[in-house]
Amino acid sequence: MAKSASKLLVLLIILAFSASIFTTGILASNSEDTAATSIERAENALVSAYQAVLEAERVGMDVAALLTRLNEAGESLIKAQVAFTLRDFDEAIRSADLCYEVGEDVKSQAEELLLVAYSSSVMGNWLTVTGSLASVIVIVFGSFWGWHVFKRRYIRRVLKKKPEVAKDESR
Amino acid sequence: MNLDEYRTVFVAGSLVLMLIAATPTVSLIMVVSSGGGERFSELWLLGPNHMAEDYPFNVGVNETYRVFAGVGNHMGSSSYYLVYAKFRNQTQPVPDVMASEPSSLPSLCEFRFFVADGETWESLLTFAFQNVSLQGDSVLVGNVSINDATFSVNSYSMWDSENQGFYYQLFFELWLYDITSRSFQYHNRFVGIWLNMTSF
Repeated sequence: MAKSASKLLVLLIILAFSASIFTTGILASNSEDTAATSIERAENALVSAYQAVLEAERVGMDVAALLTRLNEAGESLIKAQVAFTLRDFDEAIRSADLCYEVGEDVKSQAEELLLVAYSSSVMGNWLTVTGSLASVIVIVFGSFWGWHVFKRRYIRRVLKKKPEVAKDESR
Repeated sequence: MNLDEYRTVFVAGSLVLMLIAATPTVSLIMVVSSGGGERFSELWLLGPNHMAEDYPFNVGVNETYRVFAGVGNHMGSSSYYLVYAKFRNQTQPVPDVMASEPSSLPSLCEFRFFVADGETWESLLTFAFQNVSLQGDSVLVGNVSINDATFSVNSYSMWDSENQGFYYQLFFELWLYDITSRSFQYHNRFVGIWLNMTSF
């Protein structure tokens, strides 16, 4: 009886050890997958933020502050990648998440800038083109009208002039 | 002046006025369609005194050396750069400038950064060598440290009898992020320094 109980105890201990090894392996694998996913998500966020910043810059907005923040996000991403290589998955996830948050924040700020730029530049460009076009039309019609007025006065002035008879001094 | 001469003056004056009135629109179109001149990036390496001199050359084990790497952006917009640090002996491949191909060697480490148009990025790089040993007529460099991070290279260099040394090259490749392909592309620029391993 005592012998079988001790056998059972040994079996239980072996089972407990193997279960812990198995569980640790699964947890490590899960952490690695999570870290890889986090890094990929952070990379995508960084690139999307960069694209948004480029758009904002293209329409003439000052993006210097956003670039500084993108560089901070980039440093976090590098940290995450180094930590992943060193199999420090917790640090990799933490740094990748930080990169993701900064990237998303930069993206939303760039999109706000883009909205402001679009509304002001569309209005500005519309005013410029309309004003310019209107001025050209006014000048064309003004020139025609001015020319006709001038021509009429010129002809009237010429017609008012009396022909002068020159004396023939040759006689 | 007769009437024809007056008409010429009128037409010329009107055209000048129309040109002046159309200038804002024309300049707007030109700004939108302008290419912005030549677009390029600079990549440089400076010595420890931040000058293009006194570069590390005769190097030894466990000594720390300093250089400055820099990138200048003249691409007409902000750019996302990647610099790969690579290490090679005399027989290993360098980037192919004619084919715009990077070196096939793996990178030791990388630097990623965003640079605004007309701005520069610069970083101090420290490097050192560990596990260096003389094996017959060649030298084996086991590890290279860059900015305190150690990388295993296990690179052999044969004795160069012509130049009297065991030569290695530490070089840096410049890559540029391409929005269209959503990946970094080799930007066909690299700089490097030759190193003569003198103490083991």
